[in-house]
Amino acid sequence: MVLAASFVEDLVRGTLQGLPPGAVYGLIAIGFVLAYKTSGVFNLAFGAQAYVSAALYFQARNEWGWSNLAAFVLAVVVVAPAIGLVLERLIFRHLPPGSSLAKLVIAIGLSVALPNLFELIVGFEPVAGRTPEGLLPNGAGVFYDPLGLYSFSRDELTALVVAVLGAAALAALFRFTAIGLQMRAVVESPRMTELNGIRADRVSAFSWALSSFFAGLAGVLIAPRFNTLSAPDFFNLVVVAIAAAAIGKLVSLPRALAGGLGLGVAIAIIDTFLPRIVERQQWLEPIQENVTPAVPFIVLFALVTLWPELRSSKEQTDPLAGVDPPPPTPAALTRSPWLTRITIVFAVCFFLVAGLVVFLRADASWLFVVTQAVILSTIYLSITVLTGFAGQISLCQGAFAAIGGFTVFQLADRFGMSVLVGAVVGACIAAAVSALLALPLVRLGRVWVAIATLAFAAFFDAVVVKLPFVGGGGTSLLQGTRVPRPVIGPWDLADDKAFLVLAVLVFAVAAYVVSAVKTGTVGRTLAALRGSEVASRSIGISPTRARVTAFAISGFLAGLGGAMLSIQQKNVNYASNFAPFAALFWLVLVVSLGARTVEGAAYAGASFSLMDRIIFQGTFIGWILRSEDRIPGVFPLSPKWRFVLFGLTTIAFAKHPEGLVENGKRNAHVRMAKLSARRDAHREPSADDAVPGEAVA
Amino acid sequence: MTAVLEARGVTKTFAGITALSSVSLEVQPGERVGLIGPNGAGKTTFFNCLLGVLAPDRGTVLLEGDDVSDLPVHVRSRRGIGRTFQRIELFGESTVREHLLIAERVRRGDGSLWRDLLGRGRPRADELEACDEVLELLGLARLADEPIEHLSLGQGRLVEVGRALMTRPKLLLLDEPSSGLDRRETADLAATLRTVQDEQGFAILLVEHDVELVSSFTERSYVLDFGSLIAEGPTHEVLASAAVREAYLGPEVDAP
Repeated sequence: MVLAASFVEDLVRGTLQGLPPGAVYGLIAIGFVLAYKTSGVFNLAFGAQAYVSAALYFQARNEWGWSNLAAFVLAVVVVAPAIGLVLERLIFRHLPPGSSLAKLVIAIGLSVALPNLFELIVGFEPVAGRTPEGLLPNGAGVFYDPLGLYSFSRDELTALVVAVLGAAALAALFRFTAIGLQMRAVVESPRMTELNGIRADRVSAFSWALSSFFAGLAGVLIAPRFNTLSAPDFFNLVVVAIAAAAIGKLVSLPRALAGGLGLGVAIAIIDTFLPRIVERQQWLEPIQENVTPAVPFIVLFALVTLWPELRSSKEQTDPLAGVDPPPPTPAALTRSPWLTRITIVFAVCFFLVAGLVVFLRADASWLFVVTQAVILSTIYLSITVLTGFAGQISLCQGAFAAIGGFTVFQLADRFGMSVLVGAVVGACIAAAVSALLALPLVRLGRVWVAIATLAFAAFFDAVVVKLPFVGGGGTSLLQGTRVPRPVIGPWDLADDKAFLVLAVLVFAVAAYVVSAVKTGTVGRTLAALRGSEVASRSIGISPTRARVTAFAISGFLAGLGGAMLSIQQKNVNYASNFAPFAALFWLVLVVSLGARTVEGAAYAGASFSLMDRIIFQGTFIGWILRSEDRIPGVFPLSPKWRFVLFGLTTIAFAKHPEGLVENGKRNAHVRMAKLSARRDAHREPSADDAVPGEAVA
Repeated sequence: MTAVLEARGVTKTFAGITALSSVSLEVQPGERVGLIGPNGAGKTTFFNCLLGVLAPDRGTVLLEGDDVSDLPVHVRSRRGIGRTFQRIELFGESTVREHLLIAERVRRGDGSLWRDLLGRGRPRADELEACDEVLELLGLARLADEPIEHLSLGQGRLVEVGRALMTRPKLLLLDEPSSGLDRRETADLAATLRTVQDEQGFAILLVEHDVELVSSFTERSYVLDFGSLIAEGPTHEVLASAAVREAYLGPEVDAP
């Protein structure tokens, strides 16, 4: 009896403890659902928006000395909705309906760009160990214990009360106001609503502002739970919110709130009981601390893969959806052989010159960034295969790369195996994991594949990395995950130049694989599937086989690149290299520069590691002006501009899914062709100025 | 002779509503058969059951005498069902020839990742030749290198036909090929199909509500209404029957 009583007591205590965070999760989920319902945008940037408000509140209060109320008004009431309005008006309004993949890519770009843009404008720097304060003074120090079971801190109670009030206010708005009614109508069918004389775009702008307000509110409320304000934590928050929203099938606001509360409570209860289970099951110990944060990711992955109704609700059933024009065709369709030839010649010349300069002139730090660029390009080729060829967005490439890195570390550390063999083994393991992961995903729509891979990445980050046989467990905290450099016969790769040669060779092999796949059966099959899945099946293509193959190739390349990166840095450096938020930027880079070609991946690799060094520090201007003294005073620019620049470039994805590089080249080619045609026309008036095989943008 | 296609008692209900009730149908080799019916009669549902896009609640589908009811869509395609789509389904961002090439490669079944990696994945001369033959037959030869986005709807339909032909089908299912085309384009399409069929000898099952096309193109027809077959027989007889007229036009009213 005593045992049972204490069990119930613990259960209630866990529930109480879980309510405040659960309420905030629910709040974010509500905001997320609101934006998704009214505009069809799967707003992954929601976490970034919450972060901006939380950080602005912190900055105004602590750095500028504002009162709590003034800081709250600025961060949550003014800035948060303003961001929503700007995003809706400048970006999402102009995207054609049905372009859900483009919207997702842009949202991913924004979640990279927004936090950095904010930090640059406001001059905010996340400082470790400075815990953000809540809305009320001394929020972490005053406790209330109404039931005698669990003491709520003042912050927790505030979060709970504000979240419940917010949800209630939203319900009242929907029920009792004209704009609420209009919003419900727009959700049902934007076009039908417009036919009734309501301006759907205004309603949609309002709901974006409202949803962003909820993001800001949630950000400020949840901030005291983190010991440091940092964008990646808030990005994870959005994954939790999506899990809560998925419980509500992404459309029901009350169920989203309930889902958030449920997740919060479930986490707290597991937190209460898990330590007792671990006492008996020792093997669970290393992951004990990390199982609970992973609960939402597991729930999300399970919901996406096992609950078909969730996926079928993805197409908003607008009765007038049929009148939508088909999505616009991309500007450029086929590539003329000329363009390919010019590209190859240019690339060969460029690499010869750049290679010679690097070999003869570069110092150690330049060698490091150049080698890193080459290795990252190898990793980025994995995105070329999956996103460029198969049209699938994977947000867990960082995890595959990390598998490569950790395999090398483990094999070298435990068995003294050669790191080069380890790299190949690591790539194969990554390929196998990737193929296995693909199996439940092949039937999902593209947006759901992205969400499921995001959940996997978050799970990998929270649980798998902590396992001793993966991330090294406790010992690696002290010693790091060290990886030695290999020696091949007389060739000691501890020498950075020698290692660069190896990196270039690996990249060349990877580039060959990718281009062979592109022109071969696999690439053609994937292109067909990307074009039309039903039609592909009707000519005998098995979507499962093709997609699993694409995932496996992609996983192999990512694992290989991850292993190389770890060997280069002599350490896996998981958090800075491969964490989900870091890997998010990879996708942004590759997609904005060109996901369809090997050179797009190469440019992306160069941009990641060389842009800061060459452009932002003013080195390039210095070369042009032939003197370091004449570099203008605005340099060096912050490396954060990289994230802002490429994050915002994803906006072009809606119009030019082939990426900046390819699009720029085609435009230049068309212009050249027109010029020469005009010249011909002068000589010979009947000349046709159309360029065969080239569509004009 | 074994029928190319035989459906036996195909039944499908959606949430209690019977979309198909025990529909049976047969197509002999080389035949042109029509399946007609007013909107909502269950034509598309039946079509999807034949192809395996939908799983029927009851009933079997036989292809040349073999039960294919449990096979997925792509396997049925490989067994000899080719199809076109009512709402055109082409592979964006590729040329006309590339549409046929991938179908040819899949039919041969000799492409693999390993061959790609060995540099043997590029289109081969004999594959290109096979594609060009079909393109010639359909009058698409001069469009072979055009991006698919540059084509008209009528040309797009022909590309779909060409793509289906590359799989060397024993049965070609045409899903409302006349939708979106004007009368002349429809007539051209029908003429081309007839020529190609004479040459290759596959059977055609035409799902259509354009009565004119059905009557000029098919020899035999089945009529679906509210999920049940209400008539079958030679097309001109079927179209003349009272039941069919009633299904299409409503019950006849005697003039007062």
